[in-house]
Amino acid sequence: MNIIIVQLLTVFGLFLGLLGMYLRWREVSQRPMPVDRSPKKGDPGRGVAYALTMGMLPWAKESTRLHTVAYLRGVGFHIRIFAALAVLFFSPFRNLLPPLIRTILVWGLGFGVLLGAAGGVMRIVEGNLRRVSTPDDHFSVWMVTVFMASVALSMWREVFIIPMYIISAIVFVYIPMGKIRHCIYFFFSRSFFGRFVGRRGVLPHPITTNAGGTK
Amino acid sequence: MNEKIQLALDMLDIQLNQPLQTALEVCARCGICAESCHYYQAEPSLEHVPAHRGEQLRKAYRAEHDFISRIYPAWTGAKKLDEPGLTALAEMAFSQCTLCRRCTFNCPMGVDTPLMMRAIRAMATISGTAPEMLVMLADTAIEKGKDPTFYKEIFLDQIKDMEIQLQEITGNSEATIPVEKKGAKVLYVALAGSHTILPHAVIFNATKEDWTLSIFEASNYGVFLADMVRSKEIARRIVDEAKRLEVKDIVIAECGHAYAAYRWDAPNWLGDEYNFRIRSIIEVIAEYITDGRIKVDPSAIPEIITYHDSCNLARNGGLIEEPRYVLRSAASNFNEMTPNRHEAYCCGGGGGLVALPEYEDRRLTAGKPKADQIRKTGAKIVVAACENCRLQISDITHHYGLDVKVSALADLVVRAMRLPKTLPGHEVERLFSSEEVLVPIDK
Repeated sequence: MNIIIVQLLTVFGLFLGLLGMYLRWREVSQRPMPVDRSPKKGDPGRGVAYALTMGMLPWAKESTRLHTVAYLRGVGFHIRIFAALAVLFFSPFRNLLPPLIRTILVWGLGFGVLLGAAGGVMRIVEGNLRRVSTPDDHFSVWMVTVFMASVALSMWREVFIIPMYIISAIVFVYIPMGKIRHCIYFFFSRSFFGRFVGRRGVLPHPITTNAGGTK
Repeated sequence: MNEKIQLALDMLDIQLNQPLQTALEVCARCGICAESCHYYQAEPSLEHVPAHRGEQLRKAYRAEHDFISRIYPAWTGAKKLDEPGLTALAEMAFSQCTLCRRCTFNCPMGVDTPLMMRAIRAMATISGTAPEMLVMLADTAIEKGKDPTFYKEIFLDQIKDMEIQLQEITGNSEATIPVEKKGAKVLYVALAGSHTILPHAVIFNATKEDWTLSIFEASNYGVFLADMVRSKEIARRIVDEAKRLEVKDIVIAECGHAYAAYRWDAPNWLGDEYNFRIRSIIEVIAEYITDGRIKVDPSAIPEIITYHDSCNLARNGGLIEEPRYVLRSAASNFNEMTPNRHEAYCCGGGGGLVALPEYEDRRLTAGKPKADQIRKTGAKIVVAACENCRLQISDITHHYGLDVKVSALADLVVRAMRLPKTLPGHEVERLFSSEEVLVPIDK
């Protein structure tokens, strides 16, 4: 198969995926946003900043303290998904990369594949997780894992480049339709949470005055 | 589709704003939220995993709003809402979630599961599937607001009796409980029962505060029904009273949901910005202590005390350090529970559950993590600044055999004020029968 054709296929898949994500984003953006008229106790902006930064650290929440390994697995997997996307976009220049960089990418993304597979296996093995999961959840995690594997393999051997582009096209088209679309809503969700806790002076922990009130 | 289901789905559409749609879409079903729920802690099963609860609404949402789910529902677990489904949703939202938001704080995505549970409660209320007791309590409050004259006479008689008690306790023959005093600085809104008036009257008189007592109760059962129309009507009574009396502050009694309702939600329901502040009595007492307007002697309370953070006051209301400041000033032996503050466990009585006898067993089971926390502190007194929490903690301490007393913050402060006479024993009682609500001042 001609590489130009598969690259065009991937670009088309990307276009459809971005269009789908845009439509999803537009749909949620057009929903009403409740106006908060209550006087602020804290700073909503600080709350949002906290929710998207310090509030994501493994020790910031009881749940992530209890499940540190599982949480770090998820974080590691997601970071590598973005790394794999970056590698995909630079793949036309693959041969310009020094062998050492390619090797690092192969091992780095390869480890991401293990993290993804571990997530997929956990979803099958752990009782509550299995029962709360939909077929879409299982499919999505394995699909992204296979995508990451294809990107890693493409850095190893040229023969994997065409399969990588085909898999990428499928992934892009599926993103707005399946569970992976949670990536669109993540920033909305954390921001709403941050605004809530910031405005009400719950988090980040405010400086307290003598009377226990907040400055 | 029958009318009930149509009403419920229409209500879901009405509520489908940005935060709700986000909560419905963002969950990755990682299951990390499980232990954050006190129901799960008490009884680790799938039905108590917050992600699982959220999925129950998502099934109906996807069936209506998701392209893939409409083509192939099994792929996403989508399911058209039907009457048994609606009943099951209502049962779950009213009896297996206290809207404490602990799961939201523990979710890496920030999924607002209580927001989804509120959406279900609203769907249940509009379709007539909500618990009758909550509907009746909310409607009673609305009726009372329409014509308070009938109750006012009885109320004023009871206040007169209470004034005599107040004068005995304070040793001040001029101590009063003013009602509907125009131009007062503070409008204090109590709950049903003298125990939420007398200690506060002691404090207000000691500080020579320019205050007046509301003729209404702070409780707002519309909140538990997630019924904006009822919530608004109930809130409007007090807001209108404050405007009529031209007060500067509305001060809400020690009540979690009432504080959250008036402080954070009422301005949004009523679409208004007030020219008065809405504060909790906890903030006011903390300020009195700082300003030296009341003197407290911590040696008056030598027992080990601990503090329970009401979810509506702390995690959802931002009143976290104020009660601790008061307790550290008024008592000499304060032990924190672990975890505390925004990580505190719900006592299991929130979300209107203490008013629903049909769910008593579930409520007591869900209170186990809190009972265990209390036991570990070695405390002899548990202070809770929320009436529903106090009722629940009284029940769970009895149920799990803890030798502790449950106290309001103000009661403890009054004890530390070393007055000539102590307050009468304010045993926390169940005040939810219709008669008692009709006549709020019952003692």
